[in-house]
Amino acid sequence: MLNYSLRRLAALGLVWAVAVLVTFFAVRLVPGDPVMMMLGDQSGNAELAARLRADYGLDQPWWTQLLTYLGGIADGSFGLSYRYVGSTVFDVISGGLRITPVLALIALALAVPLGVGLGILAATRAGSWTDTGVILFLVTGISIPGFALASLLVWLFAVKLALLPVAGWGRPDQLVLPILVLVIPPMAVVARLTRTYMLEVLERDFIRTARAKGVRERLVIWRHALGNTLVPLLTSIGIIFGGLLSGAFVVETIFNIPGLGRIAIDSVLARDYPVTMSIVLLFTAIFTLVNLAVDLLYGVVDPRIRLAGDTA
Amino acid sequence: MSSVEDIPPEGSDLALRLLRSRNTMIGGTIVGAVLIVAIFAPWLAPYDPTEVNILDNWRPPGGAHLLGTDELGRDVLSRLVSGARVSMLVALTVLAMTMTIGVAAGMIAGWYRGWRDGLIMRTVDVIFAFPEVIVAILVAAVMGPGTATVIVALSLVWWPGIARLARSLVLQVKTETYVEAALACATPTWRIMLRHLLPNIAAPLMIRASLGVGLIIMAEATLSFLGIGVQEPRPTWGGMIRDGLPHLRSDPHLALSASLALGITMIGFNLLGDGLRDVLDPRARR
Repeated sequence: MLNYSLRRLAALGLVWAVAVLVTFFAVRLVPGDPVMMMLGDQSGNAELAARLRADYGLDQPWWTQLLTYLGGIADGSFGLSYRYVGSTVFDVISGGLRITPVLALIALALAVPLGVGLGILAATRAGSWTDTGVILFLVTGISIPGFALASLLVWLFAVKLALLPVAGWGRPDQLVLPILVLVIPPMAVVARLTRTYMLEVLERDFIRTARAKGVRERLVIWRHALGNTLVPLLTSIGIIFGGLLSGAFVVETIFNIPGLGRIAIDSVLARDYPVTMSIVLLFTAIFTLVNLAVDLLYGVVDPRIRLAGDTA
Repeated sequence: MSSVEDIPPEGSDLALRLLRSRNTMIGGTIVGAVLIVAIFAPWLAPYDPTEVNILDNWRPPGGAHLLGTDELGRDVLSRLVSGARVSMLVALTVLAMTMTIGVAAGMIAGWYRGWRDGLIMRTVDVIFAFPEVIVAILVAAVMGPGTATVIVALSLVWWPGIARLARSLVLQVKTETYVEAALACATPTWRIMLRHLLPNIAAPLMIRASLGVGLIIMAEATLSFLGIGVQEPRPTWGGMIRDGLPHLRSDPHLALSASLALGITMIGFNLLGDGLRDVLDPRARR
């Protein structure tokens, strides 16, 4: 297990190194002079241009710039923004840091239990109308992209029924639709996996044994079957988390929420490369850490996986 | 479970099972309809989808414009129909690129093993470690928003999956007698790859590729919706939803028509994918 963990950590280090180098060189690959862009209509002002160039370290050789970049990542400032001259990247994204993780965690906390519940409901009534209804709902939930779903929901709840605000951020009622849009797709994925695994587990011998010795059906489902369903479900958490990241981009764009996704898109359109690249790094770090945690946890829960992983 | 069940179905039996699978039929019908619309879009669209007619803007559905017009007076139905074509063209381009790169990389890795295998598969692992939307943002930052950005970003994200599959298939096939025979006849390596390996690993790769089309269309729509994908005036469903959202109160038909078109298309692809998986993989059938 220790060997496996160490190798996974090394792989993580490689991915992070690639991410840092790619983001660093990508910015320098882009045609155009960032200083001229920052100056705008002041572009004739050579003195100001020289000062900005020195402030941003753009007059230094590339390896010095790389060291500065690494230093910015290490101290958490992530360097200086091109768009808001003089502000650090951290200043620009700090508001989003308080929004997107909260949204993602609320969505995850709702999607997993709701999805597991729906999956069990469908699996224990396999073939019935309830099952068919749930499956129809799941196929729809998995298929329809978040923003198409959002436009239907906003039209229904905010325009037709006038129950909820169309967009915005700050009030609790403004949270309902974004969370709903963020929760439905991962919930559908979890429910579908739960149903599949559950149906598989329910045919196993130990379930038959439990039933034969007179264990109550509720206990068979919730103790014997669910326990064995949750283990494979764990691996899907990484995929679900990845889905939540792109979900955050979409939801923040639709509902005008000043989160990291919105800031990333805005910075792409405004060519604020340091901000874009810092968000790329942050999301990559979070995504890879979640996947590592899931894999390690999986190795703890299911020894068979650990052995297979060690020989691979 | 009897061992007979594990034998893959042959010809007519497979066709029969496909016809009996409700998911495959419903999904196939939807996907087929979208494909026909995409292919014949220029003849099906009643108006030029990019023609601006300011005097005729904000028309509600009905009359001369079946689904109304947008803020520039462009016919929504025509844009919807042409949007299907744009999505399909992008998806097929991405598919062609991922298949070429992925199959070539996977075959080289599986055939030669050694350092080539290590290099290619580590690259694959690293790309897999990045979330899809983040790769797209990175490409958009460097290349600027646009159709080429979508194609490059999605190809970058999708080839590793194909490469992994191609590699594992080559590893299975390369121990077969006919490969040994070809090697014994001193057949050049490129000839073994193209004439002996490729035809024998093509079927699973094609299935995998066709299942991917739906996901690529969804990803393209998402990027276009976010504003870093296909740009105006070219019509896309994602872009139409983006433009329609601010006018949901006064002109809901703009966002809703594109949302429904995209939603139904995606349901079609998912049903078809599920159906094909059930029919083609007997072990997953219950």
